[in-house]
Amino acid sequence: MKWLTLGPEIYFLAVGAVFLILSMMCPNKKRDFSAALFLAGLGVAVTLASVRLEGSLFHGAYRVDLFSQLLKSLLSVGFFLVVCLCSSLNGIHEARHAEFYLFLATCTLGMMLLVSSLELLTLYVALELASYSLYALVPLRRGGGQQMEAGIKYFLSGIATSALMLFGLASLFAATQTTLISELILKLPALLNTPMAFIGLLLTLCGFFFKLALFPFHIWAPSVYQGAANQVTAFVATATKVTAMAMLVRLVSMSDGNTSLAHVLIALAIVSMTYGNLVAMVQKDFKRLLAYSAIAHAGYSLIGILSMNPTGYAAALFYALAYLTMTFTCFLVIVKVAADGRDVTIVQFAGLHRRSPLLAMALMVGVFSLGGIPPTIGFTGKFLVFNAAMEKGYFLLVLIAMINVIVSLYYYIQVVKAAFLLEPDEELPPIHLSPPTTLLAVAMLVVIIVGGIWPSHLFELARAAVQTLR
Amino acid sequence: MGMQLASFPYLSAILLSCVVGLLVILFIPRDREALVKGVSLVFSGIALALSIYVFCAYDRTLGGLQFVEKLLWVEPLGIHYFNGVDGFSLPLILLTGIVHFTGVLTMWELRGRVKEFFAFAFVLVLGVFGFFMSMDLFFLFVWFDVSLFPMYPLIAIWGTTRKEYGALKLFLYLLAGSALILPGIVYVAVASGLHSFDIMALMQPGALSQGQQRFAFVLFYLGFGILAGVWPFHTWSPVGHAAAPTSVSMIHAGVLMKVGAFGILRVAIFLCPIGWEYWAPVMAVLATIGIVYGIFVGLRQTDLKYVVAYSSVSHMGIVGLGLSTVTAEGLNGAVFQMFAHGIMTALLFSSLGYIYDKTHTKLIPDLGGMSGVMPVASGYFIVAALAGMGVPGFASFWAEVTVFISALKVYPALGVLAICALVLSALYMLRVVQKTFYGQRNERYAQLPDVSFGLGLPRMILVAVMVLFGLFPRLMLDLIQTAVIPFMAGGGLSR
Repeated sequence: MKWLTLGPEIYFLAVGAVFLILSMMCPNKKRDFSAALFLAGLGVAVTLASVRLEGSLFHGAYRVDLFSQLLKSLLSVGFFLVVCLCSSLNGIHEARHAEFYLFLATCTLGMMLLVSSLELLTLYVALELASYSLYALVPLRRGGGQQMEAGIKYFLSGIATSALMLFGLASLFAATQTTLISELILKLPALLNTPMAFIGLLLTLCGFFFKLALFPFHIWAPSVYQGAANQVTAFVATATKVTAMAMLVRLVSMSDGNTSLAHVLIALAIVSMTYGNLVAMVQKDFKRLLAYSAIAHAGYSLIGILSMNPTGYAAALFYALAYLTMTFTCFLVIVKVAADGRDVTIVQFAGLHRRSPLLAMALMVGVFSLGGIPPTIGFTGKFLVFNAAMEKGYFLLVLIAMINVIVSLYYYIQVVKAAFLLEPDEELPPIHLSPPTTLLAVAMLVVIIVGGIWPSHLFELARAAVQTLR
Repeated sequence: MGMQLASFPYLSAILLSCVVGLLVILFIPRDREALVKGVSLVFSGIALALSIYVFCAYDRTLGGLQFVEKLLWVEPLGIHYFNGVDGFSLPLILLTGIVHFTGVLTMWELRGRVKEFFAFAFVLVLGVFGFFMSMDLFFLFVWFDVSLFPMYPLIAIWGTTRKEYGALKLFLYLLAGSALILPGIVYVAVASGLHSFDIMALMQPGALSQGQQRFAFVLFYLGFGILAGVWPFHTWSPVGHAAAPTSVSMIHAGVLMKVGAFGILRVAIFLCPIGWEYWAPVMAVLATIGIVYGIFVGLRQTDLKYVVAYSSVSHMGIVGLGLSTVTAEGLNGAVFQMFAHGIMTALLFSSLGYIYDKTHTKLIPDLGGMSGVMPVASGYFIVAALAGMGVPGFASFWAEVTVFISALKVYPALGVLAICALVLSALYMLRVVQKTFYGQRNERYAQLPDVSFGLGLPRMILVAVMVLFGLFPRLMLDLIQTAVIPFMAGGGLSR
């Protein structure tokens, strides 16, 4: 019976096995996609069914609780959504489709293991499982060599941060003589004024700063966003960010409100927001723009985490959900506009309001949500995060963040302008959406708006999840 | 302040009529333009009818907050869905209803992307209605932003002069205000220790200390002041107005600038009365500069829309001057001026819009002798211009008189300066009228048709409202008084 608590993990392991077998058979685009769609849909059902499970395995190294199960559900939803985008996976060679789904599944599995890990070595192994899957996914795209550059950049900066993180983990162990997070929570707060424990914790966080593309760990983001296939980028931009935000919540909560750590994080958040927004203003490629906006959003979400109070952690989790929905909506538009799997520049959205009014509207709502305009889920997320920071008295931080939000509106509005205002040089054919895609786009719009107007339930859920951290 | 719960959610029904109107429009095929216009008219008519009902059914002897709807929204944060109207907000809700309805009628001849235009307009008006009736800071802010972001597409797509520049400038300027308002809102909720966004709870004396009030007042005053066109944050306004299509200019100058002024009243003054007293002299100076500056810059303009836009800056200065007196009469006059100016500006832009649609120019030197070509259309503009000069018989006369009397008592020097400037403004408005509508007729436009009865309807409604409240100002002043007196006696003020 104990193994039942591992339901989602076992399921995704099985999904990985299925695609391992499929990858050895002759390539069949249709078969791979329908198998993936079915398995991903079932995966959502499996994780949702196991949301209320609780249990502790492997002598406390692995815990199943509301926090982890909620994130597993989010991850499987993210996996499902990205698979939904793969109906015409033109960016990747047909022979590689099964591998693509395989790595997607193992990456999801790795992140699921990650959010349940309560032991530093388990945590590291799970993180590497997720990372290596991504190292393989990024250069899978067909075409010019741009994807190889992105893959190598991602790999090299990734393993460099892994090394940093390992050093941090070792220092933590040296300082506390334990690798169990449940014991670290008790020992660490008293030890954080010693350099070894403090630097150890900070370097451990670096591993997740990298995934979150927080300044100064952002260098990979623009190339990878642009160089990887659109669907892979969608996955990197949604699921991995959610995991990174959640893991930062878990690790920072160990410090029990240490002010020096908070000050370091404040500095990182401010620099990350400002840098991301300023550089995003001059971008021409939409995915590159989203990469820089992701750097800025890493800063916003960090504000919730560095507040180090339950409201802040819950706000950060809510922000992760919000970020997943709105970023995914943008990628939905990218994938449909670039049916042949190429990159999309902002001016290529010209005339979108005539080619597909629904996509134009989804794009507008998506970027306005990223820009934090109510009544969208992105605004509510920011509001919750700012509220938590204000409770700690970080008035200036909130003010700087708000000024950043206004700066970011400048480039978000350029996207809306392209979609609604600019006319293409030559008349482009209308984009026909299949009924499931239409449904998906409408569903995303509804989630963004309803989640923004009526955040009560989701926020309560996030608060309940944060309760289990202690 | 007393509170009467609503027997029927009239206020939510107003919001709902906008939401339903929006949804219905979204489901109409885009080539059915007449149907889109019809649906817009029906739903804006429902909103207008409901706002007239609420205006008339408000019990003036009881006063206080009425038609209250209160629902717990997000419990851990103390957010309520809390709507209610009092003597301050009722005039503005009525104003919004009238301007939107007449705006739809004014845009009856719109061609091209009709569906999107009316859909965005409904989002805009939804935000404005919500802003005026909300008594919860969270929702207040949500409505504030909802009313602002449709301005960008509305101006950038359907606008005229330098539309993309004007739209972007306006959008970024106005949202820059929210960069101060949002931290301010969260600050007062947290600093008061109440962890609530309920305005009624936060405005209790003692909820915020003296220092907190002085600080928060600046945030709110600057944040909302940008939208209210307070000098020196007004520069978005002439550019934006000139670029916007007619009904957007109407809603924008008529209603949206009042959102800013009302925000100063409802948030800054309500929550931080001590800060209000402290900063009032600064407000008075800025408002007077705005009045004088608006008039002098307006003198140099040759584009009719710029003329009207700068007159808006100076008229909104009168609102600011009224608010800065910290007296009951001043507040009363300021709120009445918001209403009167809203109707008057809507009429100015509406009549200007017709002339522009026909002649495709709004430059004064190009026009001339228009009253001979289109006497009725010119008549509407002249009436509005007269109202703007403060001629007795129109609503704005009473509003301006009330403000100036109280201003002379509190700030004699500034009051005299403002009145002198206003006399000058009469001179320049008359010159504009004379050059545009009398004098040498431009033969190019001699054959243009005059405004028909149907198209003149929105202007007629606006003139009727102006005259109604000009002849019976107590309809409005007494209503506003029911809110002013309890507020001034409420104990929030130190003097």
